[in-house]
Amino acid sequence: MGDLPILKRTLAVYTGLFIVFLYGPFVVMGILSFQAGPEGGPQFPIIEWSTYWYRHLFGLTEATRIAPLPIREALLRSLTLAFATTVVSTVLGTLTAQAFRRNFRGSGVIFYLVILGMMVPGLLLGLGQALVAQNLGIDRSWWGTAFVLHVVYTYPFAFLVMLAIFNRFDPRVEEAAWSLGVSPAVTFRKVTFPMVFPGVLSAMLFGFTLSYDEFPRSLFTAGSDVTLPLAIYGTFAVEIHPNIFAFGVLSTLFSFTILAIYGLLMAASVRRARIKASGIQEDEA
Amino acid sequence: MTSSETLTRPAPAAADPRAEGWFARNRSLVLASPGVAWMVLFLLVPLGMMIYVSFWTQTTFAINSTLTTKSWVAFFSSDTYVGALLRTLRLWLTVLALTFVIGYPTALFIGRFVRSKSIQTILLVACVIPFWTSFLIRVLAWRPMLGREGAVNIVLENLGIISQPIETLLFTETSVIIGMVQIYVVFMVGPVAFMLARIDDSLIEAARDLGASAWTIFSRIIFPLSLPGVVVGAIFVSVMVLGEFATASALSGRKVNLLGNIIVSQVGSLKWAFAAVIGVVLTVCIGVVVAALLRLVNLRKEL
Amino acid sequence: MLELQGLSKRYGTEVALDDVSLVVRDDEYLTLLGPSGSGKSTLLRVIAGLETPDAGRVLLDGRDIGALPTHRRGLGIVQQNYALFPHMTVFDNVAFGLRFRETAPVADPSEVDRRTRATLDLVGLTGFETRMPGQLSGGQKQRVSLARTLVTEPRICLLDEPLGALDANLRERMTVELRRIREALGVTFLHVTGNEAEALAMGDRMIVLDRGRALAVAPPEEIFAAPADTRVARFLNAWNLIPGRAGADGFEVAGEAPLALPAPAPQAQTYGVPYDAAWISRDPAPAPGEGVLPARYVASEFLGSKVVYLLRRADGKVFEVERHLSREDPETYAQDETLAVRWRLADVHLFDGAGRRIPLAPAGAPA
Repeated sequence: MGDLPILKRTLAVYTGLFIVFLYGPFVVMGILSFQAGPEGGPQFPIIEWSTYWYRHLFGLTEATRIAPLPIREALLRSLTLAFATTVVSTVLGTLTAQAFRRNFRGSGVIFYLVILGMMVPGLLLGLGQALVAQNLGIDRSWWGTAFVLHVVYTYPFAFLVMLAIFNRFDPRVEEAAWSLGVSPAVTFRKVTFPMVFPGVLSAMLFGFTLSYDEFPRSLFTAGSDVTLPLAIYGTFAVEIHPNIFAFGVLSTLFSFTILAIYGLLMAASVRRARIKASGIQEDEA
Repeated sequence: MTSSETLTRPAPAAADPRAEGWFARNRSLVLASPGVAWMVLFLLVPLGMMIYVSFWTQTTFAINSTLTTKSWVAFFSSDTYVGALLRTLRLWLTVLALTFVIGYPTALFIGRFVRSKSIQTILLVACVIPFWTSFLIRVLAWRPMLGREGAVNIVLENLGIISQPIETLLFTETSVIIGMVQIYVVFMVGPVAFMLARIDDSLIEAARDLGASAWTIFSRIIFPLSLPGVVVGAIFVSVMVLGEFATASALSGRKVNLLGNIIVSQVGSLKWAFAAVIGVVLTVCIGVVVAALLRLVNLRKEL
Repeated sequence: MLELQGLSKRYGTEVALDDVSLVVRDDEYLTLLGPSGSGKSTLLRVIAGLETPDAGRVLLDGRDIGALPTHRRGLGIVQQNYALFPHMTVFDNVAFGLRFRETAPVADPSEVDRRTRATLDLVGLTGFETRMPGQLSGGQKQRVSLARTLVTEPRICLLDEPLGALDANLRERMTVELRRIREALGVTFLHVTGNEAEALAMGDRMIVLDRGRALAVAPPEEIFAAPADTRVARFLNAWNLIPGRAGADGFEVAGEAPLALPAPAPQAQTYGVPYDAAWISRDPAPAPGEGVLPARYVASEFLGSKVVYLLRRADGKVFEVERHLSREDPETYAQDETLAVRWRLADVHLFDGAGRRIPLAPAGAPA
C-alpha cells in the first residue's frame, strides 16, 4: 500500500492530529501550572506568568485559604508500595513463566486465572477485598490489603513479559549446564537469570509504573493512610487549583526520570550484548 | 535438521513414574503454585465474597449475613440504578466505537504506511508516553481544555468557527466521553498497529498483482488480518471503561453516574450489600463482553 | 560401558525410537548416522536424561540411570549450536562445570585455573580465555563447547551434530582434532551426525539409525563395504542400487541386457554397485568377472580429490561413478555421449525383496 501517496499524506496528517489530541491536555496543563497565584484559577487566561504554584506545592508561599496538597507522606507511601509490588510481582511472574516453559496439565486454567488479574476492574476487586477484610476483622491498610491487590494487577503483566522472554530463550543453553553436572537451581541462578535480566527489568518497570499510579484498587482497601493517587483523587471533591497542575508537571518529570533510568539500563545491557556479539570474527588459531 | 525433534517437548503429565520425587515430576505446578495461591486468595476469594455479600441483609449502617435477595430486587426495581446500568452500557459502546474509529487510521498509518521500523517505534512510544503521567492528572487536565473559557473554545473562537463559546463541553456526558476516548484510545492503537505491521507484504503484493483494488485489499486482506488486534484492543478498552468511575466524577461534575460511581457512593455510605450487587452486575457485564470478544480470537495465541 | 535396552519413544503418533538396543564400549569413538527425523537426536537426549523414554532402560556400568536427572548422570553433551553461555568469558564458560556442579565441585581457584587452562590448551584455545562467545568464530565456539564438557571428565561425551554448523574446510580439520582429543583423554565419544562422510571418517564403530530403528552397528569400513540393508546403502550415499530380478541369464533390469551376477542368487531384487568401484569405458563389450551397463553421460562434478560423473541409464535413473584423482586424471565426455559403465563383480552386493543383503560365495566366484 506504499503507492497511495494521497492516502498516505492524509493519514500522516491525521496521525499528527491524533498526537495533538493525546498531548493537548498536557500542554494546557503545563501552561496553566504557571498561572499567577493565589488568585489565579485553573483556567485561561493566564493573569501573569509565575512559579507561585510550584512554590505553593513545597510550602514556600505564605499561607492562604488554599491548603497545600497533602502529598508528602502519600508520595513516600506510594513509592514504597510500588517498590514492594514490583519485587513481589516480578518474582511471581518469573516463577510462573518458568513453569509455562513446559506444557503441563492445568496450564490453560492457570493462564486465564493469572490474566484475570489484569482484566477484573480494580474497583470491583477493591470492593471484594474490602468486604473480605471487614468480615475477617482485618484492618485495611496500604501495605496490606491494598498491596496484595496491586500485586494481583501487576503480576499478570510481569508474567506476560517473562513469558515472551522465555519463548525466545534457547533451552539448550540450560541443558548444556545440566549436562556439566550443575543442578537446575544453580543453572537458573547462574545462567538463565542473567540471560533474561533485560526482560526482568521490563517486568519491573511495568510493575512500578502500574502500582505507583494505581488507585481504584487502593480506594476501598488502603484505609486511612492514603497513597498519592488517592490524595489527588481527594482533590476532585473540592475546587481544584493550579497547584495540582504544577504537581502534574513535576510528577510527569519524575516518571520520565524513571523511564530514562530504565532506558539507560536497557541501553547499557544492549550495548554490552552488542560488544559481546560484534567482536572480530577471527580465523582459527 | 533435528529442530523438530528437539522442540517438540512432551508434556511431563505423562512423566516417567520412576523420576525422582513428586516435586521433580510436577516441577511446573510447583513453580506456578505461589502465583496461583496469590490469585486464589486475593482475586477469586474477594470476587466470591462480593457475590456472597450481595445476598446479605442491609440495614441502615450495617450488614448481616442473613441471606436475602432484597438488595437485588431493590437494584432492578430502581429507575436510578437501571438507568445507571443503561448509561454505563451506552457510554461503553460509544467510547468503544470512538476508540476504534479514531484509533484505527492511526494504527493503519503506523503499521502499514511507515516503512522504517524506528519511526514506527518512535510513533508508538509517543502514544504511550502520556501513560507515565498520573491517570488522575491526565483526567484533570481536560478541565481547562473543555471549560467555558477553556482551550478548545478559545482556539475555535479565534479560528472563527464559533462565535459563542460552547457551554456543553464540560460537566456533561460529552466531556466524559472525550476524556475516556483520549485516555483509552491508545489501547486500541497499539494491538492493531502490531497486527498490521505483522502482515506479510508479499500477501498484499500478490493481491495487487491479481488486480485487486486498494479497497478490496483493505477489506479482504488487511482488515481481516488486523481483527485479532481490534479484538484485543476492544477487550482492554471495554474492561477499563466498564470499571470506570474517576473520569466521570472528574469531568461530569457528578452529573453522570456510572455503575462505578454508584459503587463508590454506596461504599461511602456503608451500603456494602448494595455495592456488592452493583459489583456483581458489573462483573457479569464485563464477563459477557470479554467472553463474546474472546470467541472471536484466541487471546493466548495472539499474545 | 553404556548399555541401552529396548528404548522406545513416540511423540503422539510419530515414532522417534523403536526398540533400540545398543552397547557403547569404553574408550571408543562411536558415530550415529541417520537422516533428519531418524530419531538420532532423540536417542542422544534420552541417554542424557533430557527426554524420558516410553520404554526401555539406560544402564551405565550396569546401573540403571533412567531415574537420574541430567546433572547426576555424569554424561557430557556438546550441543549442535554450541549453547555457550553468552554472558561469560571463554574461561568462565569452561570453568563453569568445575565450579558449580553438584557433585564434587572444585573449590580451589588455582585448581580450577589449572584444569581449565589445560583443557583450553588441549583444544588449542590458549590465549582466548578472556574473549566473550560473541567474539569467537564458529570453529572456536565449537572448541569452547567441547572444552567445557571435557573439563568435567564425563564418562561419555555425547556430541549432537557437532560439526553441522561449520564450513567444509573447518569440518575436515575438526574431524582430525576430535579424534586426537578423544584419544588423548580416552573418553568415549558418541557422535551423532547426518553426514555419512563424517561417520565414516571418525567412528571406530558406527550405528545407522532409520525411523527410530538401529539398522546396523559395525565398524564403518564394514558397513561401507557391505551394507546390511538397501536402506543403509542409501544413507551411505555411496551405492548405485538397481532394482530388477534374478533370471536365467543374470540380473534382469527393465530395458537393459541382463547384468552378470557375482554368484547365483535367485532371490535377488536389488543389484548394488559402489560409486567408487565403477569406471567409465567406451567399450560396451562384456568381459568375464565384470559387469557392464550402457549409459549416457550427463555431467561431472569436480570435488578436489575426486570427480563424480553422473550418467543416465536407459530407464532414466542416474548412475554415479566416483573416481579418485590420485589414481587417474579427470576425463571429459560429450553431453549425451553413450558410454558404458563397468565394475568388477567382486564389488557387487545383492539384496533380497525385503532389502537385506544376500550373503554371497567368496568374491571372484564365476557368474
